[in-house]
Amino acid sequence: MSSPPLRIVRVLSAPPEEIFDAWLDAASLAVWMAPGDVERSTVEVDPRVGGRFRIVMKAPRGDHEHTGEYLVLERPRRLVFTWTSEATHGRSTTVSIELRPHGKGETELTLVHEGLPAETAEDHRSGWGDILRKQDAHVGERRGR
Amino acid sequence: MVEYSEARLSRTFAALADPTRRAILARLKQGSLTVGEIAEPFAISLNAVSKHLKLLERAQLLRREVRGREHYCSLDAAPIGVAEQWANGYREFWETRLDALDQLVTARRKARGDKGAR
Repeated sequence: MSSPPLRIVRVLSAPPEEIFDAWLDAASLAVWMAPGDVERSTVEVDPRVGGRFRIVMKAPRGDHEHTGEYLVLERPRRLVFTWTSEATHGRSTTVSIELRPHGKGETELTLVHEGLPAETAEDHRSGWGDILRKQDAHVGERRGR
Repeated sequence: MVEYSEARLSRTFAALADPTRRAILARLKQGSLTVGEIAEPFAISLNAVSKHLKLLERAQLLRREVRGREHYCSLDAAPIGVAEQWANGYREFWETRLDALDQLVTARRKARGDKGAR
């Protein structure tokens, strides 16, 4: 049993090649994979199909480990990897990244996170629809700039 | 990221994993029903329905109230809300990570003096 896939669409200010590489480069990941109260992340990557990664977010209240395996590496269009962390309750989930050239030197990124265990009752689905509509509005706003 | 009770989440997901139990919850959205009323549309025994109700009760998705000889069941959607918050936690995680990724590539392009970098 899984939730409907989590889907996020964003326009990022660099070409697909640059965005793709930032997902696989340890020095880049250490910077952008350090959320909130995380001081820094230590990152180990083996960027080949079947290779694994390990991102440890060092936080004041304890470390958060995220691990996974690269399933698809098609520079610069597509990247698929498994993702396991305490927030997935140790369960292996799948993250797919699609990159498309957008505008002048920009990239439209679509992130799909599948296998998160959160099936919700029918009337809660509207919540997802609402969020996706807000997301579309956000992308539209960025495009309009 | 907000921490939620793993055991409670597991009970919620396990309870929602079954189509009969989801159908029971859907019926209870209209209001409270007796055990007999809940069982009516299902082609399974009252005993089987009763087992589903017990599981939903343990997952705190269902409240039971005894009035006279009847047991009335009503829906408690709070755990579903918690599960949804938990799932949205991941949305927030990726949204903020992508913000950070955008900041990083923007800063690098500016440092290189690229035309068109914001």
